[in-house]
Parts: sequence; structure tokens; C-alpha cells
Amino acid sequence: MDKQKILEIVIQQVKELNETLPENQQFTVDQNTVLFGNDSKIDSLSLVSVIVDLEGIFSSEYDFDISLTDDRAMTREVSPFDNVTSLVDYIHEVISEFSTN
Amino acid sequence: MYKNKTVLVTGASRGVGLMIVRHFLEYGAVVLGLSRGQSDTLHERYHHFSVDIGNPEAVVNCFRKGIGKQFSSIDIVVNNAAVLTSQYAMIMPIKNAVDMVNVNLLGAFFVSREAAKLMRKVTRGSIINIGSMAACLEPMGDSIYAATKAAIVTLANVMAKEFSGMNVTCNTIGITAIETDMLQSHTPAAQEKIKDIIASMPIPRMAKPDDILNVIDFFASERSSYITAQTIYLGGIN
Repeated sequence: MDKQKILEIVIQQVKELNETLPENQQFTVDQNTVLFGNDSKIDSLSLVSVIVDLEGIFSSEYDFDISLTDDRAMTREVSPFDNVTSLVDYIHEVISEFSTN
Repeated sequence: MYKNKTVLVTGASRGVGLMIVRHFLEYGAVVLGLSRGQSDTLHERYHHFSVDIGNPEAVVNCFRKGIGKQFSSIDIVVNNAAVLTSQYAMIMPIKNAVDMVNVNLLGAFFVSREAAKLMRKVTRGSIINIGSMAACLEPMGDSIYAATKAAIVTLANVMAKEFSGMNVTCNTIGITAIETDMLQSHTPAAQEKIKDIIASMPIPRMAKPDDILNVIDFFASERSSYITAQTIYLGGIN
């Protein structure tokens, strides 16, 4: 699966979350949207729900039974969950490894 | 009462779990039963999944490859599966101690975790942990068992915070002794100890099935959507 397709899926999930927020808390969703840390547009539990949704989508719709929250993700110096682009890069990496195994 | 509800019960093949399965079936639920072995329950709305609750990978796989593929959502989870070895700490076999932590605590954690992912889809759910009077009474010989039962109270309370945004409640019922297979398997000395404990309780008798089912119904009710992170002990224990 190429990064563009992954980007579309991630953007869609963040948009769906965004739509559940009150209007005055909604934000622009694009590849630069910050997901984690002080500048994040969403709280940590909302990020968890996006990750759970993404794992579910990649498993049920594309047969990629991947975990996005294993030790490797959690111990990286730069979190893969920082922003949409870093998350897309990480998912691409995990899916590529899953496909070759 | 439970028509159109999907209920998951662990430790479903015998004892308290089997009693809970039959109760939900009687009142119209689709019931997913999990236990290590097979089940004798034959019912059109009963679906059995053989899985070792004490094996986290097996539990996750059961949800990903079994339950998650067949059922779009879960409304109610009853974390009932438990193992008990009553033995003084200094002579407790290592395997039995580890099994109690894996089944009683980690099993409840991983089942709740995976079920919560399905509950998100309906944004309503109830997770009910079957606790024990041992968590309060802390009887000698039950160090690990009592600790795991105290731990699942904390588990429910923390998950109650994490899941509240999904309208999922997490509560615990602390049950007292009830005539089950597990109780019968105790040594005569252990059974004598349980009798002494029962005699010291404010309501000095064993639990009846309906004592337990009544509290489960209360926690599972949609009217209890404002009740979370609570523990109800039976028989006057606190």
C-alpha cells in the first residue's frame, strides 16, 4: 500500500474525529496536523481512538493485522504520533514489514 | 430485557459464569461465551469461543480473528473467568501464582481492552468485573487471589475514566461464596475456612444465584449509565 492511500485513510479518520468536536474546537485537518504533544489539536484519549480505528480499518478492510502501539513505537525518540505525516510514515513502515513477513 | 443485546461472558462453561450465561440467554441476549475448553451450552443465541483467558495473545487473536469478524459490537462484558489456589504464600506453587495473575487480572484487562474497541462502535456499553469478598477480607492463604481481585476493582475504576467518553461503564461486583464447581474443588480445610468467613458476615449465608444476577442486571441496565467505577459487595461486606 502506498503512502498516498495511507494518508487518505488517516486524514479521513482524523476528520471523522474532528466532526465529533464542538464547532469552536474543530481544526484544519491536513498532513501537518499535530496529533501529539503540547501543540496537539486533540487530547490523548482522542488520539488513542484514532489509532484503534486505524488498526481496525487496516485489519478488517485490508487484512493487515498490525499493531501501531508496540514497544518500537513507544520508545522512539521522535514519536510516530507527532503529526499526520509522521503517523503515515510509521504506518507505511509497519505495513511494509507486515507484507514481507 | 436483553433482546438485541450482545453479551460476552468469560469463564462461561461452568460455575458462576455458566449461571450468568443462562440468565442472559433466558432474557433474550446473544451470548458469546469464552472458556479454555468446550461448552455444553446448546442454544441458538449462544456462541462459544475456546480460548485461554490467561494468554494475552490468544485473547487478542480471539477478538481479531473470531469475535470481531462475526459480531459488529458488544454491549455487555462480564469478566468472570478466574482460577483460585488457596495456599500459604511461602509454599504457593509458582505456576499457580502466575496463573492467577494471568487469568484473574490480565485476562480481565485484555478482554476489556478488546471489547472496548467494539463497544466504541455503538458508543454504549457495560463492563462488569466479578470480584470477590477476598479482596476485602484478605484471608490467609489467599494472598495472590485476593490481590488479583482487588486489582480488578482498580482496573474497572481506571477504565471507567478512560471509557467514559464512549459511554461505557465499568463496575465490579464483589461476590461471596456460592455453591459452584470451584467451591467443591477446595480441600476440606479450605471449605471449613469459607464456612467460618460466611458465619462472620453481616448476612451469614452463602450467595444465591439471584443475589449475583440482581447486581449484574443493575450494572448492565441502560438506566445505570451514570453508575461507573463502583464496587458492590454482597452480604454486607465492605
